[in-house]
Amino acid sequence: MKDLGTVTQLQGHFEEEHSSEDKAVFQQLKGFFDKAKKKILGDKVEVELNQPGEATKREELRGLSGYDPSWWEDQELGAVRSHTDNFKSIRDARVNDFVVETNKLLIRLDKLLSPDAPTDPKKRKAYEKAIVRWIPDNEVPACLNCAKSFSILTRRHHCRLCGGIMCDRCSEFMASSYAQKLVNPAHSFNGEGFLKRTNSNTSLNSLVGNEGESIMRVCKTCRKLLERRGIMTELRNTKPPIVQIYDKMKLCIKEAEQIIPDYMPMVESLSQGETQYDYRQAQIMRTKLVKLYEAVDQLSKKILTFDLNSEQGVNPKQVHLQKSIRLYATNFMQENLMGLQALPTEEDYNKLRQRRTAEIQRKIAAERQAVIEAQERERSERERQEQERLMKENAVSPEDGPKPGHRRVSSGGDIQKKKLLSGKLPVNIVGTSKGHARNQSDESVGKGWKPVEDAGRVSKASDPMLQQMEIIRGYIRQAKQANRVDEVVMLEQNLRDLHTEYQRQQEVKGQAGY
Amino acid sequence: MNVILAVKQYVSKMIEGCGGGMKVLLMDRETTSIVSMVYAQSEILQKEVYLFERIDTAGRETMKHLNCIVFLRPTKENVDLLAQELRMPKYGLYFIYFSNVISKQDVKVLAEADDQEVVREVQEFYGDYIAVNPHLFSLNLVSCCQNLTWFPPLLSRTIQGLSSVLLSLKKCPMIRFQNSSEMARRLADSIRQVINKEAALFEFRKTDVAPVLLILDRRDDAVTPLLNQWTYQAMVHELLTINNNRINLSTVPGISKDLQEVVLSAEHDEFYANNMYLNFGEIGSNIKELMEEFQKKSKSQAKVESIADMKAFVENYPQFKKMSGTVSKHVTIVGELSRLVGAHSLLEVSEAEQEIACQGDHSTLLQRIRALLANDKVRHIDLLRLVMLYALRYESHSNNDVSGLVDALKQKGISVENRAMVQAILDYGGKKGRGSDLFGNQDAVAITKRLLKGLKGVENGVENVYTQHKPLIHTLLDQLIKGKLKEASYPYLGTGQLKDRPQDIIVFIIGGCTYEEALVVHNFNRTMPGVRIVLGGTNILNSKSFLQEVSMAIGNPSNPVQAGRTVRP
Repeated sequence: MKDLGTVTQLQGHFEEEHSSEDKAVFQQLKGFFDKAKKKILGDKVEVELNQPGEATKREELRGLSGYDPSWWEDQELGAVRSHTDNFKSIRDARVNDFVVETNKLLIRLDKLLSPDAPTDPKKRKAYEKAIVRWIPDNEVPACLNCAKSFSILTRRHHCRLCGGIMCDRCSEFMASSYAQKLVNPAHSFNGEGFLKRTNSNTSLNSLVGNEGESIMRVCKTCRKLLERRGIMTELRNTKPPIVQIYDKMKLCIKEAEQIIPDYMPMVESLSQGETQYDYRQAQIMRTKLVKLYEAVDQLSKKILTFDLNSEQGVNPKQVHLQKSIRLYATNFMQENLMGLQALPTEEDYNKLRQRRTAEIQRKIAAERQAVIEAQERERSERERQEQERLMKENAVSPEDGPKPGHRRVSSGGDIQKKKLLSGKLPVNIVGTSKGHARNQSDESVGKGWKPVEDAGRVSKASDPMLQQMEIIRGYIRQAKQANRVDEVVMLEQNLRDLHTEYQRQQEVKGQAGY
Repeated sequence: MNVILAVKQYVSKMIEGCGGGMKVLLMDRETTSIVSMVYAQSEILQKEVYLFERIDTAGRETMKHLNCIVFLRPTKENVDLLAQELRMPKYGLYFIYFSNVISKQDVKVLAEADDQEVVREVQEFYGDYIAVNPHLFSLNLVSCCQNLTWFPPLLSRTIQGLSSVLLSLKKCPMIRFQNSSEMARRLADSIRQVINKEAALFEFRKTDVAPVLLILDRRDDAVTPLLNQWTYQAMVHELLTINNNRINLSTVPGISKDLQEVVLSAEHDEFYANNMYLNFGEIGSNIKELMEEFQKKSKSQAKVESIADMKAFVENYPQFKKMSGTVSKHVTIVGELSRLVGAHSLLEVSEAEQEIACQGDHSTLLQRIRALLANDKVRHIDLLRLVMLYALRYESHSNNDVSGLVDALKQKGISVENRAMVQAILDYGGKKGRGSDLFGNQDAVAITKRLLKGLKGVENGVENVYTQHKPLIHTLLDQLIKGKLKEASYPYLGTGQLKDRPQDIIVFIIGGCTYEEALVVHNFNRTMPGVRIVLGGTNILNSKSFLQEVSMAIGNPSNPVQAGRTVRP
């Protein structure tokens, strides 16, 4: 990212060295750089890892061109060793105790909170004692927590959840709404879960908190266990608002990523004036994409400014996080939106289409003309040969003339040979076109498409490879006319392969010649 | 056999294993360097890793909505810090990766700290070294050799680093080491012990030819790190010092603020990737080309204003932007290099150095050094290096005049401590310390070769006088690949022996390797099909860090009495 500043230098260079050149170019360039600069400097990040450039996979590959390619051959992931199972078994053995204990507490808590529980203090106490055995007072001479001896002034208190004994100072008081929430996570709760009452020496069974809420006396151990559970359920069940926005943004990005690969070839094809795709459908897709990008932009901006004005003071790491997310979103958009070409307008598209149709028709006509001419030539050639033959036959004695049918046989052999050479290919084509047809609209169902071997155009090249290449070129022409994009791609690949093979052969021949 | 890829794959795997959502990467000082060498920040950002934190940073904020990838070296401090972290978790879930083997005891400590059940994974991913180039790694250890023997803590770090290289590349090698070096033997033994102890880990698919680990000692070739360099990467390190791909340019006169520290990463800088092994002259012309290309592109933009052209521009844009960035960066660096070359007569110095190292007649060379001693442009450090090279080369020459040259250094005002380095280098890399024929004096074949090479050079007149020197490692690797490396000097550890010619080779140099050697290895990889070599060292040296290494290795080189006594017999 540091390099960005150097653009200024380059601009300087331009201003000095190329001032005579078109000012507009410079302005244009400057505009671009300024935009980029704003984007990148605005979101500058200071972590140690900062290195120049944004490395998409494509660029990464290009960036390594200076290397021996064998460096980038596939490499297995290095050795790894997992301690996860061992770790979990140690942890679980330990945590299990908590869990069992916590669950016991929760069951008791549930009973204590039950609406059927008596409210009358006397009955209430008996009810509480029935749920968990209270340790008899005489068994415990001192607070189990702080070891302070009990006396008239230091009274014994029981934890309602485990029945243990403690002094007042070691007691904790759990608000009943917090208890409700522990038992039933759907229960809404705000405020402090535990209260500390000072200067109180009462031994009421149920106590009333500051705000009239009933509270319950528990010991420190029980509090810890319940709190741990409380934190864990909360973490599992709540999503902070920023995460919700983030998830929405990610959803949009994901959706856009699914559409892009479909959309790109559409635009490509439509702006060539081809009719393979539906213009309206492309338009709908584009609108959808633009909307998604807008959403990503909006949401990431929202994340960027989220909670920045809260009274609690801004957490610098949180700000950094928000900036990074925004940078992530802008990188995504830069990478994809830049390539999101506009569709031609409907009017332009129609023009393009007409032009293309005209073009194709012109081509077809030209080719037909060529075919006719070729046939013409062939006919005249044949006539000429016929004449020559007749002349020869006339010259030589009639008994020595060639046997009838001889010529036909030889030409039949020729065709045989060509078929042999091209034999594999048409089969392939039929195969794919069948598969293709299934996905296509009704007009082509069942018709399939198959290039016709155009023997007339196959040149009389001596090398079978060259002949084959010529044949495939013919197929490609036909496929193009039939708008069979897939086939064209496949055939072109075929042609390329043949070409490489041919060159290789030539090289081998050349070497053998020396 | 690509160390950058190996580490990168580990990091990618960690990130993948953490699933979707916002992530924070928690590291220590060393793993931060390890990761930063293979991943650009922007690249890692696109994988939803938004924050980077150090485990030793006190008072990190609680952010439960982030999942945490932990990548740490398995040190005692890190385990303690992590256990603390787990008791009071600041992030949502934890995915823990250690860069090396961690003890069962440490796993237990961590498991007992995880009361809140936030840990999802605990694994070992062996990225415990700094991957510099695809075939070059370093451990960034300084002064591993003290009093000519291993400094124990650095020996154990070296064992960890080197064994993690083997694990990350999935190689269980046959080990060969330099017989003359006690340090090499100890390291080889220790690596063997690790392999035996962790036999299950080192069980890889058997290849036809076993890989070879060759352990060398810098003391065998003390010449290479003393020479001036002329290929881009090596030259930048020699004159400006590369530290984890970073170069500090703040001392360059008139440098702009944003160029005070620049990053040279072949992974993310195409120009650098294409030019790092080219020599200084070629770089200059390539930069010029790049500038012209840039100008041409922007000019062609001027001519046409159609949508198609705009599109082309936009398509070129990321590249374009990047290019403009790298151009000025490299212009600055190359500019500074050429300033230094001119200001300190480095061409003359280098020519003399090369002749000392490669051939040359004693009396002519002596005159040449004397002439350079009289040249005020030449830096003291370069003069010292020249005399050190001379001392190494003519250590046993009957007419050598080391003491005369040291006197001349004294007259130049070079300090006692620095003058003592002349003796130090002899103690470190002199005849007694060497196990091989560094200058090719003994071997009749080598002498013939040298003679032929000399003739060829004269005949064609093309051989670059500044890059004639070939490091010792060139000869060793050549012999190793041909199966001719002498067993007496480089024995196998244990009983096994390689019958075939080796294919996968890992060379490790105790005391540090150099970028000149990295280039040698690169060329082997490029030109020898089927042979794959990775080079590593305790450090990557330039002459400055090498001098420090030597003075630490020798013990107390600043003792002028000792140095004076032996230098002046």
